[in-house]
Amino acid sequence: MALILTGLQKTNMLIFTLRRFSLFFFTLLLLTMLSFSLSFLFPGEQLINLTGQISASPEQLAVLADEYQQQSGLLSQYVSYLKHLFQGDMGYSMTSHLPISSEVLNRLPATVELACVALLVAMFVGIPVGFCAAIYHRKAPDNLILTIAMIGYSIPVFWLGILAILVFSIQLGWFPSSGQISLLFEIQHVTGLQLIDILLSDSPYKWQAFQDATRHLILPVIVVALAPATIFMRLARSAMLEVLDTHYIKAAKAKGLTFSQIIYRHAMRNAIIKVIRDIGLQFANLITIAMVTEVIFSWPGIGSWLIESIYQRDYTAIQGGLIVLSSFIFIVHIIIDLVYAALNPLAREPRHGT
Amino acid sequence: MVLSGCDSNEALSLSKKSIIYCSEGPPESFNPQTVSSGTTIDATSHQLYNRLIEFSPVDNAIMPAIAKSWHVTRDGKMITFYLRKDIQFHQTSYFMPTRALNADDVLFSFNRMLDASHKYHPISGGKYPFFQNAQLASLIDNIEKINDHTIRFRLSHSDSSFLANIGGDSAVILSKEYADELVELNAMQEIDMLPIGTGPFKFKQYSSGAFIRYEPHADYWRGKSELKQLVFDITPRDTARLTKLLAGECDVIAYPIAHEKIKQHPNLILESVISFNVGYFGFNTRKPPFNNPLVRKALSYAINKQAILEAVYTGQAEIANGIIPNSSWAYDATITSPDYSIANAQKLLTQAGYGNGFSMDLWAMPVQRSYNPDAITMAKLIQADLQKIGVEVNIVSGYEWSTFLRKVSEGEHQSVLLGWSADNPDPDNFFSSLLSCSSASTGSNRTFWCNKRFDQLIQKALKTNNINKRKAYYSKALRLINEEVPLIPIAHSKRYQARDNSVKGTVLRAIGGVDFNGVTKN
Amino acid sequence: MARDKIYLEEEFPTPLVQLWHNFKQPPVVMIGFCCFLFLIALAVLANIITPYSSVENHLDHLLLPPAWSDDGDVSFLLGTDNLGRDMLSRLIHGTSLTFGLSIIVVIASLAVGVVIGSLSALTTGIKSSFLNHFLDVILSIPSLLLAIIIVAILGPGLENTLWAIIMVLIPQFVHVTRNAVKEEFAKDYVLASRLDGASSVRILRYSIFPNIIEKLISQATLAQSAAILDIAALGFLGLGAPIPMPEWGAMLANGIELFYIAPWTVYLPGLAILFSVIATNLVGEGMRHALKVRKEN
Repeated sequence: MALILTGLQKTNMLIFTLRRFSLFFFTLLLLTMLSFSLSFLFPGEQLINLTGQISASPEQLAVLADEYQQQSGLLSQYVSYLKHLFQGDMGYSMTSHLPISSEVLNRLPATVELACVALLVAMFVGIPVGFCAAIYHRKAPDNLILTIAMIGYSIPVFWLGILAILVFSIQLGWFPSSGQISLLFEIQHVTGLQLIDILLSDSPYKWQAFQDATRHLILPVIVVALAPATIFMRLARSAMLEVLDTHYIKAAKAKGLTFSQIIYRHAMRNAIIKVIRDIGLQFANLITIAMVTEVIFSWPGIGSWLIESIYQRDYTAIQGGLIVLSSFIFIVHIIIDLVYAALNPLAREPRHGT
Repeated sequence: MVLSGCDSNEALSLSKKSIIYCSEGPPESFNPQTVSSGTTIDATSHQLYNRLIEFSPVDNAIMPAIAKSWHVTRDGKMITFYLRKDIQFHQTSYFMPTRALNADDVLFSFNRMLDASHKYHPISGGKYPFFQNAQLASLIDNIEKINDHTIRFRLSHSDSSFLANIGGDSAVILSKEYADELVELNAMQEIDMLPIGTGPFKFKQYSSGAFIRYEPHADYWRGKSELKQLVFDITPRDTARLTKLLAGECDVIAYPIAHEKIKQHPNLILESVISFNVGYFGFNTRKPPFNNPLVRKALSYAINKQAILEAVYTGQAEIANGIIPNSSWAYDATITSPDYSIANAQKLLTQAGYGNGFSMDLWAMPVQRSYNPDAITMAKLIQADLQKIGVEVNIVSGYEWSTFLRKVSEGEHQSVLLGWSADNPDPDNFFSSLLSCSSASTGSNRTFWCNKRFDQLIQKALKTNNINKRKAYYSKALRLINEEVPLIPIAHSKRYQARDNSVKGTVLRAIGGVDFNGVTKN
Repeated sequence: MARDKIYLEEEFPTPLVQLWHNFKQPPVVMIGFCCFLFLIALAVLANIITPYSSVENHLDHLLLPPAWSDDGDVSFLLGTDNLGRDMLSRLIHGTSLTFGLSIIVVIASLAVGVVIGSLSALTTGIKSSFLNHFLDVILSIPSLLLAIIIVAILGPGLENTLWAIIMVLIPQFVHVTRNAVKEEFAKDYVLASRLDGASSVRILRYSIFPNIIEKLISQATLAQSAAILDIAALGFLGLGAPIPMPEWGAMLANGIELFYIAPWTVYLPGLAILFSVIATNLVGEGMRHALKVRKEN
């Protein structure tokens, strides 16, 4: 089926994209406002919370106060905060005294790597299994899959992580229990995505490093992916059931197509599109699970860094981490929305907020 | 395929010839002169540096190191060291030494600490806890370079602990050439963060709070290490360290828990040394109500040490009657700690005017140290103990170790669970570092207790070489501590370490902690 | 004397009774429901039925394994932890914390959410559009992350955790209430009472609420399983219940330090959380199933 965009569809797509961008803009506005107000809500001096310069001398503070327009009204303070933010200046960590932006750049890719691999695993496992359940609706496989799904999203992720380490790292010795890669391998930080960095590096142990990094990735990915996978199972199952109930499937049956022809040619595509719509929401969920998992597997990602910052009461880091993590989630959300709209013309119909 | 097969052999040698040591916390600096915490000493002192003299790993006797020999005059006031000529500094990406170690380096290393007007003195905060505690600045009149390989210390008075102090973990020798180069580059603070020393390993990389990577020093004067890499994997959680050992991600771990589990494991070895340490419950004597000695004494009756010993140290320690462990010659068996007695505690509290109790903050250290393997649990037990005399304890924990130490040395706490590991076998190391007035200002005396009589006693003990006289002075000092209770000594413990049985050699030492010199793996 | 019914009345069960009829059909759901009631009973009666206090230290019985193990002791059925505290008592007390508090949290956010949701359903135009966008933003941030943020502002502690989770759950209830109310408003029976001259508030109170209550309960069970997991996760991360409290997540975190010598201190709280979440989810699942069946009829 070739997708031909007619003029009308193009404008619809454009309007849709613009609406998403206005939503994104609105969200960013809200998030930066929230983060800015956090510097007032946190204990301690607002300027220090904002910049993280805990050991600055009074003269340095005066310069900073000037830079952040402390003497003017709240609005211009906020604007100057935004200015700093867009220049990539999120202040300094109160504990490590490094710029927040460099810490974030160090940490975010590890989370992206973990979350993206986990998302792919969750989709590639969850969706086919869900379809399978729908095909065997109300039969033994369906019940089995539903039971597994129920346990899967009821299990507390931190407990699952501990059990996984106990069984697979310690008793079976298959996978390592912590970190991204064995510390013996020195990999230059280029993109921050470990697997890609290894391929880019000129280490003599490249292949070993790649294997090692993959082995480190497996357990955390499984732990992160389990709950989203069960949710994809349920989504895929109900999407498929819905599709199988439609008139065009009935028509196809009436035409005498075989069951597998119906599933592969007609039902699956339409069901997958329905599932894609929910990936954005699931991604947010997945990031949360990843934050907890990072703590358990000592994964050097932004989630464990953010939680550590909360322990350390490193307010500047909390603000920065928040902004970055939430905008990241939201950007992915919007990208998935756009992909969905591109795949499914019906979604581009203008939906108004009322 | 052929290529990858070849690779695999090489990688095998990489992990076979490298050691990952899972340590319990990040170092505060890479120069042990500037800090006294055991974590920093473990990570830096014996890996990166050498001292003029060192302690034998076998019997803790003084043995030659950078100084191949030394001479002490009869009055004990003049000590001459003769240096080895073949000691090379590290070659790294940030520094290329052009000469071997000589007397200038020794002079620089000591003057940085002793001479307040030295341009390197204020770098990294200007505090040299160990040297200031031992009052070496007033002890050492001057240091004189006789020739390129001879150096002479003149002391203001004879001091029996001087050699022990010079061999301490903090008395490391830095490179003057490197320091001069940094002055030119206007990057003086880097001397403590990008270290250059003469030790068996050289600095490669530090990822803040995550790991330290060392490489062997090719020209090490005792012979190059057989290892390819030495990595300190910083793992503050006890369970995580053991997990990594069991999963084969660490070769050696510091402060293991679950000793039974390790002993049962066929490939793991549990080791211990009797260390010179004390775990204590200290009071900030500058803050009420602990500025009142009666209150402090009352609490000392209310703590059930025996219960703590079983729950926290699982019996792997001795009850501390004083700050000195019984393996030291200064130990006095006639001094005992107060018996556990709620009635006495109540009586004293009423006397002090706190009959109805009060509430207090108790800071529990966030990491495991041998002198206190689980401060949080200890805090909980103390909380339960003190509740019985109407004192409500609020446990403060959760700070990262270096933040915790900073806040405590600034006196933010009301009371604290902490301890001390000696860096040399001389008993003075306990008295001066823990409770003297001078250590109150450098921050290693976390009780801020400053007693003139106590200071006089330990000064007198240092001025004599007669061991019986010294012992008598120390006994008096110990009694004074029991009287005034600036801190309640809880226990002296053994220090444990667990390792994979492929690691050969002595890693753990009674004095000085961790030392990977001469350690191999097969 | 029983009065004979003169007229044969056709009884119309209320929506809730209908729901109950459909709800109790599948046996699995009934098991889940019984477990749910059992947990509520434990939470309420915790102080009466526990053999020991949750913080009492039995220093002679440190790290005792559960009674069925060789070294166990019957007087400590599920063993003790490193301070000699009875695990069974702590788990039962933990029920009133983790499970009991999750119910309170859900009820509180339900109440607030329904009020805001109904009000917002009655608004239209730019205000409504703004609210919709705002809800979209909030709902796209996962609940645990939002809770962590709020805890970061308020500071760690159990009470702050509860406030955080209440705040996190409110938008979900606002969203559900708003959509459900709008849906009902479009129906003919509402139009009928509107034509009778009933005010919006009256319509909400008498016509709409009885018809959307099951949707709210279904959302409440979802919210509760999330609340249990969030309270436990924050406790586990050390941001929730403080150290001596027997909150399951905090107990589990404490157990990790003892994992290799006393694995039951990790297994038991984890199982407790799993059990209560599954019970809650089964009830929710039954509820949604019943709703679906009722709709189909």
